[in-house]
Amino acid sequence: MNTSSSEALSITLDTETTVHGRVPGNSGIWVGIFCVLVEFLLLFIVYFIAKAHNPEAFSIGPDKLITSAGTIITIILLTSGYCMVKAVTSIRSDQRKASLRWIILATLLGFGYPIVKYFEIRWNVAHGIHGETGVFYTVYYYLTLTHLVHVSWGLMGLIWIAIRTGVGAYSSHNHSGLEAAALYWHTTDVIWLVIFSFFYILR
Amino acid sequence: MIGHTERIWLMLISLTFLGALIGEGGHAGWLLTLTVAILMAIKGSVVIDHYMEMRSSNQRIRDVLRTFIILVPILVIFFHGWGEEVRQLTTLN
Repeated sequence: MNTSSSEALSITLDTETTVHGRVPGNSGIWVGIFCVLVEFLLLFIVYFIAKAHNPEAFSIGPDKLITSAGTIITIILLTSGYCMVKAVTSIRSDQRKASLRWIILATLLGFGYPIVKYFEIRWNVAHGIHGETGVFYTVYYYLTLTHLVHVSWGLMGLIWIAIRTGVGAYSSHNHSGLEAAALYWHTTDVIWLVIFSFFYILR
Repeated sequence: MIGHTERIWLMLISLTFLGALIGEGGHAGWLLTLTVAILMAIKGSVVIDHYMEMRSSNQRIRDVLRTFIILVPILVIFFHGWGEEVRQLTTLN
């Protein structure tokens, strides 16, 4: 490729970036996020079809679940997400210590999710609600536990960026890794908002 | 001091409590389905626009995320209204 065509390509790429806007985080995380969205969209279709075949089971199913457990998890994830917004804002103004504090707070709150889930499942099992109790609970366990796996990956990501922020790897000019982890974390929020509605509110 | 991010967080938490209250006393029907679908779309869009900063981000990425959070509530409404037709269509005999 000669110099003029290189410049032309460079100009084209710059124009595309301007026209379509900034890609937050990095391209790799968006491949991961889109895969997660497709995966859960397919699982949601399984939920819808199972509900269409068993409307009665899906109408009374949520009555036996603890709505407060779902509500607490939602509050935990939304508050943890808020902390990550603050962490990104802080690093953009080179406030590394403040950013680290927000990431640690987000991570600690995030660990509240598996803890609440553990007690919720323990309560469920004690009250005879397990994977084979009925089709509603089979789908409930499958979707919520799959989401828990994704949250675990998100938590690992948060721990990683906490370490990286702690050693000074991020700055106002270079923080795409931190932003990418925050975006993945927010995606688990969006997915949970749907799951919460499906199993704890909708009849 | 309550800033923009704090107001967004408060809004999301308030909508979550509203959803939980509806869920506690809700009965299956169009009213509950439409309310849940609207709440889901609003909360999801707020997270996408404000937490993920999609308002000022790449248009294609923004379109995919917005399509997802609008499509799912539409499916909720569709499957509530046409559940019987879907059941017949997905029965293997």
